[in-house]
Amino acid sequence: MTKPSFVYVTYIRTSPEQLWQALTDGSLTRQYWAGRRIESDWTMGAPVTFWFDGKVSDSGKVLECDPPRRLSYSFRVEFVEALRSEPPSRVAFEIEKLDAQVKLTVTHDEFEPGSQVFAAISGGWPVILSGLKSLLETGRAIEFPTGSCDARRAKEEA
Amino acid sequence: MAAPDLKPSFVYVTYIAAPAEKVWRALTDGDFTRQYFFGRRMQSDWTVGAGWALLMDDGRVDSGGKVLECEPPRRLAISWRVEWLEEFRTLPEAIVTFDIEPMGEVVRLTVTQLTGPIDEKYLEGGRRGWPVILSGLKSLLETGKPLKIPTPSAGTPKT
Repeated sequence: MTKPSFVYVTYIRTSPEQLWQALTDGSLTRQYWAGRRIESDWTMGAPVTFWFDGKVSDSGKVLECDPPRRLSYSFRVEFVEALRSEPPSRVAFEIEKLDAQVKLTVTHDEFEPGSQVFAAISGGWPVILSGLKSLLETGRAIEFPTGSCDARRAKEEA
Repeated sequence: MAAPDLKPSFVYVTYIAAPAEKVWRALTDGDFTRQYFFGRRMQSDWTVGAGWALLMDDGRVDSGGKVLECEPPRRLAISWRVEWLEEFRTLPEAIVTFDIEPMGEVVRLTVTQLTGPIDEKYLEGGRRGWPVILSGLKSLLETGKPLKIPTPSAGTPKT
């Protein structure tokens, strides 16, 4: 059985530096990442923590950090009981400048075959990355009907 | 109807802060498409069974096919044949579907390409092209300005 992996490419009218900041600054991730505030000192091996409502929703460790070009960390879901037992997967962001735009490639891989986390993130990344693009281009992340993302997540937890 | 041997070879989901009607128009109106679809103008009368064509500036046909399903502003399905590249002309037709689902102020646009069993190399162009096209569509609808991305794959002179 092949290991599943998720790849998403989006083009954003912004600079690599601004995109890097949007990916690594908790006050910005909170606006487009289903309310999650990311926290890390962004050095190799340093912990990465996603905070939501005073709780840790997801966690990992910095695997690669080459601002403003490449960022990668391991990723473990903490928030949802059923997903916590899966081994960590890996998230990688690749940023390429193209004139006044950037090409962002997100690769989320290293899942076990049949991973439930994989199923969850496959629906989640397009939401997050559409919001990220809107935030950088318009100053406003996309507004979804109240808690659509978290409502779904809460349902999965129940 | 999709032939039974067609499988999704590419799926892309994006969320756009625009009404479904505006997304529909941006997908089906040539004046819109030329701003984000590598300069191509989309042309059809958008009735089931009618032909459609994606035209280049000089009038040549980039791609074309037939309208299979047309339910404005929710769903469009078209058969798709690439015409402008010789070696693509003899490939079996693909089917491309556009699903537009309103979610509050936002719509979820899902673009799915269905193809028969063909060599992976023929799928590369679409896999590289759709993210450029759909990122440009989202920018155009949300900011009024398209992106300016150099054309990937064929058509870009190598310097």
